[in-house]
Parts: sequence; C-alpha cells; structure tokens
Amino acid sequence: MAEGPVEQIRAKARELLSARQVECVIGYERASDGLTARPLFAYTPEETDRFILDNTCVHNLARYLLDRRTKPTAVVVKPCDSRTINLLVQEKQIQRDKVFAIGVSCPGVVEARWGESPEKPQPRCQTCPLELPVVYDHLITVPGERPSPGSGQRQPRTGFPEMERLQAMSAQERREFWQKQFKRCVRCYACRQVCPGCYCPICFVDQLDPTWVGIRIAPAENQVWHLIRAFHLAGRCIECGECQRVCPVGIPLMLLNDKLTAEVEGLFDFRPGLDPETLPPFATFKKEELEAER
Amino acid sequence: MSRFLSRQGLLSWLDGLIQQGAVVVAPTAVEGVSLYRPVPKAAEIDLDCPATVLSPKEWLFPMSHTLFTVERKDGALELKEGAFDGRAVLFGLHPCDALGVHLMDVPLLADPADGLYRERRERTALVGLACTQCRPECFCTSMGTSPADPTHLDVMLTPVEGGYLVASASDKGEALLASAAVEERDVAVPEPPNPQRLPTEDLPRLFRALFSHPYWGRVADRCLHCNICSYVCPTCYCFDIRDYARGNTAERVRSWESCQAAGFTRIAGGYDPRTNKGAKLRQRFAHKFLYFPEAFGGPLSCTGCGRCVRSCPVNIDIREIIAELNRLGVASVGSGEKQG
Repeated sequence: MAEGPVEQIRAKARELLSARQVECVIGYERASDGLTARPLFAYTPEETDRFILDNTCVHNLARYLLDRRTKPTAVVVKPCDSRTINLLVQEKQIQRDKVFAIGVSCPGVVEARWGESPEKPQPRCQTCPLELPVVYDHLITVPGERPSPGSGQRQPRTGFPEMERLQAMSAQERREFWQKQFKRCVRCYACRQVCPGCYCPICFVDQLDPTWVGIRIAPAENQVWHLIRAFHLAGRCIECGECQRVCPVGIPLMLLNDKLTAEVEGLFDFRPGLDPETLPPFATFKKEELEAER
Repeated sequence: MSRFLSRQGLLSWLDGLIQQGAVVVAPTAVEGVSLYRPVPKAAEIDLDCPATVLSPKEWLFPMSHTLFTVERKDGALELKEGAFDGRAVLFGLHPCDALGVHLMDVPLLADPADGLYRERRERTALVGLACTQCRPECFCTSMGTSPADPTHLDVMLTPVEGGYLVASASDKGEALLASAAVEERDVAVPEPPNPQRLPTEDLPRLFRALFSHPYWGRVADRCLHCNICSYVCPTCYCFDIRDYARGNTAERVRSWESCQAAGFTRIAGGYDPRTNKGAKLRQRFAHKFLYFPEAFGGPLSCTGCGRCVRSCPVNIDIREIIAELNRLGVASVGSGEKQG
C-alpha cells in the first residue's frame, strides 16, 4: 500500500527543502479552527510535517508566486490552481524554472468557512473540466470520486445554471440584480488581492492622476470597480473562484467572470491557462480578426 | 423582581421609536448577509443575530461620508455640510461592540473632536444585547468587557424566556425606555457564557520588544493585504479624504481606508516607505496593541469580537498573534514581573 497524499506531499516538500532545490514550499496546514485549511509557507524540512491535504484546501496557492517571483518556490496546485502557472508564465510575471509545481489531482473541494464544519461542495467543482493539474513537476493522486466526470479536455460552457438564469433575465432585471449585489460591496479589494490575474503595480482604482474611480464606497463607484475589474480579467480568469470565496459580503463575482469567459471562448476559442503554448487573445493579433463578425 | 420586556413589547417599543422619527439601526439580513442597517420596521431586525459581518461602526463612522459640498451659484459659493440632525437608536450591540464604540470615541472625540462623528454619536442611543452564547472566535473578556457587561450602553437587554430583562445604564437610556411596556416580573438572570481568555496584560511592552522579530514576516507570508480585517473591525478608524469636482459643484468625501491597502503609505513622488509585507501586516497589530495604548494612555484597540478571525480569507488570527507575542516575548524579554 502506497503512502497517502498527505505523506507524499510532506515527503516531497522535505526532499525539495533538504536538497535546497527550493527556498520555500507553499502548501496547506490546518487553520486555527481545527476544521478548515490555510496556506503554509515551509522553509525548513521540520515544518513540512504541518502540511495537510483534504477537501477544505480551497485556496489558490499559486497566487503567492507573484510575491516570490525570482525565488525558487514549490507550490501545491489543484487542477484549477495549476492554470495560474501557465497564465503567469505566459504573461511574463513568473519564470517557469523558478517554480516546482506539486500537482494534486482533485476530487473537488468544499465551501470552507472558518469555524463551521465544512460540508457543502463548492458549486464550481461541479462544472470543473479538469481532473489533473494542467502543469506539474510532480504529481500526487488523491483518491476520491469527482463530483462530475472531467476528461481533462475542454468542455463546452454549459451547466452554469446561475449564469444561465441571469442570461434569461431582461437587461433591466439583470441591472437590478447587479446593483443589489454591488450596493453592499465594501471595496475591501479582497477579490483583487486574492486574484492571480490582478497584479498591476498600481490598480486603476488606486491611481490618483488621472482618477478613474472615486474612493467613495457607494453603489455607482462599486459598480465601476467590479465591471472594470471583470473586463480586465476577460480571457484571463483561470476560474479558481477565489474572488467569490473571499468576498466578506457574498457577492457572486464568478457570475461576471463566467460570462466573460464564455464570451472570450465564443469569440476566440480560448480559455486561459490550459496550456503554456496557445497565445492568449489579448497578447496576439491575427489579421483575420479584422474580418470577424461583430 | 426584575424589569422585563416581552419580545413583542420590544418590537412595539422600537416601532414606536421609528414612528416618532428615530432612525433605528439594527442587525438585519441584507441579501443573506447580516449587517447593521436603518430598518423601516422592527420586524426586519434579526434579534438573534450572534454577530454581524461588519460592526456597528458603519453607522457612527460611515464607510463614505460627504463632509461638505460646495456649489457655485450666480457667482457666489454655497457650502453645505453633511450633517446628521436626526435622532438614532443603535440597537442590538453586544458588549464587545459597545466597547468598540467607546474605543472609537477615544481618538475621535479627543480634542479636537471629529465634528461629524460627535454629532452622530451624541444623537445616537446605544441599546445593547447581552450574549447568551459565545462563538469560537470570541475573546471579549481578554479585552476588558464580558458577555453581560452594560458599560458604554444606554440600555442593556438580556435575553430570557419570552423576552428580555431590561436595565437602563444612563439617563439617555431611562428616557428612551419611557415608551416601553416594561413590567416587573420574577425572572432568573441567566448565567453568562464564558469566552476564551488570552493573556493581554503585557501586550504593549511585549510588542515593543518584538517589533523587529522575523515572526511578522512569517505571518505576513500568507496575508493578502486586503482590507477585510480593517473594515469588519469595530475599532479601525483610518480614512482617506479626497475632493471631487464636477461642473459647478465640488465635494469633499471621506472614506474608510486600511493600513493594508496598496498605497496607504505612498507619498509624493510615488515612494512607499512601507512595502515590506511583514511591516505592513505588523502595522495593524502595532496600532491596536502598541501605538493606541501609548497614545491614549491605556486601552488596547481591540474588543475581542473576533470578526477579523472569522472573515480573514487566509486565517490570520489575532488570537494566535496575541498568544505568540506572549510566547516569544516572555522567551526573549522575560515576564513583566521580572522587569518591574
């Protein structure tokens, strides 16, 4: 009987740190509630005994590579998170050779809220097309039934019931839906801070000259914030769902991202981060695009 | 015999206050999220809310506040202040949140007082609710209050079978209760719950000693530097002010800001003296456990409400930080007794 995935992660992390192949291994450890998980940065072999892996490991740890751009780092990635690495390498934010990706297969994660027994599966996992990470240097297989069969291939964007419900609304109804959501936004920017695609040195909301959006935390400004952010992620969102998870007031941000992902896929037949070769539509130009139907 | 108000009596009392023109601000479900909001009728109040996601500071120190507007009219300038001239009842504060209001008073009412805050504060009565149970993140007794503590409140309600025990804690509270159908009844006072206790007595000194400890960098590794902790906090009061002009009008807006925000310390010329992750994270705790008690002679700027613990997306846990400051601090500088 082979060792379980937790022992395998610990062993791999210990090996990488002992051999000084990386300076740091980013994985998960048990959170302070004893129920959920939190990120752990291990710098010494001794610390690797704290690593865990289970269905409460929701965080996209690959986002932290942006904080360690030039430092050799190993990171535990689930299939959804692994797309971050392709995205950030393609966008020249990180160097592939500085990253050691410990890929883990994923039977789906739960909606883990601090202090509450995690039970409810993440809705995103129901529509996830990936069974295995799209990029890894070492693969650890986690036993378990997937919520829906993933083939590793790109799936048509169906089975997003919430998005379809919104599509069926009139423009006015949709406007009202979003106004209600944005109204309670507190502009904490957790959605931006957790997002692997949000790495501008100065975000447009923080720019003073020119001022694109005011600092007022109010419906109009909140709406501008969310819509512009969503557009900046069009064709770049790797669908980890972290923005929606971290929102303290429960704004369903992935609905916006899903819609734009579907639009970009329809126009350019592209979904970001799935492979390192295909150039993203906003990083390339094809002459025939001029002829594309409007 | 104790003063008792039935659950229905409470709702009628609050509805009466609303009818008399008071703004009643209370925990209510906003699209499923528990927040303090002005309610049109008492039935919309979530009476059994254990803790709102954001604290009641939202009412006294609004997220965004127009300080004034200026309009050019026929060659003359007209100035309007963003004043609150009504009367409000902030309802449902647990003792930690009452302490939170007090800890906002300390800096904002200190001379020179923040005029807009003072105005709201003076025009708002605080009605508290004793806690019948603790949540895992609660640690109020470590911060100088407790689940049934009426300090800083005008009225304190203690939930009992069928209603509430009523205690007025100020003249303002007694006047407010005049319209409540309070009866005398023989009701046993329930035993308050007992939250976890953390060693907080020596925090400023320990913090000073550990100011440059590598610990801060390690905790900050996983910090996203979002503003959640500052915004859910009942005592964080940093803000930013900007002017906006459009056509003939201009306004000065004050909005919440966080020491964790990008650009919080950016200065003219674009230089940011505090970009280090550890220093940035430390700032929030240093303000609470070192600068605030040093500047205002005493209290730590934390209420033990645990909101930041619950809402942090990466589990930066202020309780662990307190415990670790004690562990590392005692190891490096010894206990308070030894130092005298």
